[in-house]
Amino acid sequence: MKDLTATIKENKLIAENIYELTLTLPQKTEVKGGQFVNISTGDSSQLLRRPFGVMKAEGNDITLCYQVKGSGTQNLADMKVGQTLEILLPLGNGFDLSGFKKVAVLGGGVGIFPLIATIRANPAIDFYTYAGFRNSAAVCLLDELKKSKRLTVTTDDGSYGCKGNAVQAYLADAAELNPDCIIACGPPVMLKILKQRLEECGNKIPCFVSLEERMGCGIGACLVCVCKTTAGGNARVCKDGPVFDINKVEL
Amino acid sequence: MSDLSVEICGVRLKNPVIAASGTFGFGREYNEIYDISKIGGVSTKGMTLLPREGNPVPRIAEGRSVILNAVGLQNPGVEHFIKYDLGFLKSKGVAIIANVAGKTLDEYGEICAKLNGLVDMVELNISCPNVKAGGMAFGIKPESIKEVTRVSKSGLTKTPLIVKLSPNVESIPVNAQAAQSGGADCISLINTLTGMAIDIEKRRPIIANNTGGVSGAGIKPIALRMVYEAAHSVEIPVIGMGGITSGADAIEFMMAGACAVQVGTANFTDLNAMPRIIDEMNVWLDRHGISRVNEIVNTLKLNG
Repeated sequence: MKDLTATIKENKLIAENIYELTLTLPQKTEVKGGQFVNISTGDSSQLLRRPFGVMKAEGNDITLCYQVKGSGTQNLADMKVGQTLEILLPLGNGFDLSGFKKVAVLGGGVGIFPLIATIRANPAIDFYTYAGFRNSAAVCLLDELKKSKRLTVTTDDGSYGCKGNAVQAYLADAAELNPDCIIACGPPVMLKILKQRLEECGNKIPCFVSLEERMGCGIGACLVCVCKTTAGGNARVCKDGPVFDINKVEL
Repeated sequence: MSDLSVEICGVRLKNPVIAASGTFGFGREYNEIYDISKIGGVSTKGMTLLPREGNPVPRIAEGRSVILNAVGLQNPGVEHFIKYDLGFLKSKGVAIIANVAGKTLDEYGEICAKLNGLVDMVELNISCPNVKAGGMAFGIKPESIKEVTRVSKSGLTKTPLIVKLSPNVESIPVNAQAAQSGGADCISLINTLTGMAIDIEKRRPIIANNTGGVSGAGIKPIALRMVYEAAHSVEIPVIGMGGITSGADAIEFMMAGACAVQVGTANFTDLNAMPRIIDEMNVWLDRHGISRVNEIVNTLKLNG
């Protein structure tokens, strides 16, 4: 884990309210798919860093995507090339896909972006990706997503690809596809429905989900970003996650 | 290099910068960032007799120069601390301050007795704004502050007792004196100010608990005034905290009468905040030719 000052190489709008931010680090840093970074917003009156899943790590560069949601992400969107941000990385545990050959990838909204890092990092695995966007204006990064063996794009309103969401599209294919692992990232309601549906159909395929929560320190000390575990008690999303076995967390 | 060491209630700290309870866990995570033996002390995550799961999420929100939290005293219980975390903190050579809370007077007495002689100091959390039973209930009225201090102190024959005061009260001097008359060896302040943040799209508070404790740089002027008031109303030492982010901030609190300081929220913004604050204090003291940090304590002169 390193705390570095990164320089903005690129910060561009790629879809409605979605920006792709590339930061150049002073040193090469290994980041696994599903791991995240904590970055300052560029406004010193915002005391909390913001956690984002990494989409790409190449040489000294780290790329992530964010949606402008509040004043923190708005500040990030206003940052210019050459300006610097404080970055703590790599954080969390990431996806471990060792031993799997055929993996279903389910992404919803901004949850799609961190999954791209996993697809990029495992060229030997056949990924069957289901990417769910709100509408055609939100659709982005198809070039990256097409690195999958097969890509299915859905939109909530049917304005691009299939009408519906990533979970529905996957479940429609599940029997025929029969992957040996499922990985998913997306809004809480998407992951909750995924868990319910998998339980209903007696799913035996290992499924790993990457969770999101409002965070404080990002390193496991402050106990702000917890989730309930099925064994009872709490797990820290930042330190024990953000990737969990879907059967081991309450969603 | 100035002599940064301070002595509080017979406990020697290598410098006056202590990690504030709830922001630093039991030190293990920050020790992956830097060697925590650099700091003066650690006030642990608030502990209770039995483990507590704490509040639902979200537990945190942000405002301008402040954050709000409502963790609700999630902790593994005092026995777990004694078994698994105490040894680690001892190995780091930092002053160990066990922060404790109880639901009842008896619980305060019992948890203090369990820690007697095991840690360097015990810090009484009588001012947690985020739990329904206990915590805050003891920290508002001077009579109950005196009583909870007395009961806690009776279990602590070998270990000095710090009483951490709430800012959400009528009078800091009256409450500081109540802690002193109950037998406190030291006072620390301020705990967080109760606040709220609202998501206007959902028309709901951001924090699941609705309200949370406000901390961070934005509360510093309030904290500084309260530390000044406390230090000038009791004989026992005072540890100051509230929004300390720099060496200059720490020096302000010490000039106002604090003999040491705690740093909390700044640890989230800058994981290396405490070592940096210690370095910045050193630079300032050197520049002013002050050989011992003790010399600045309570040196504030009020304007005519």
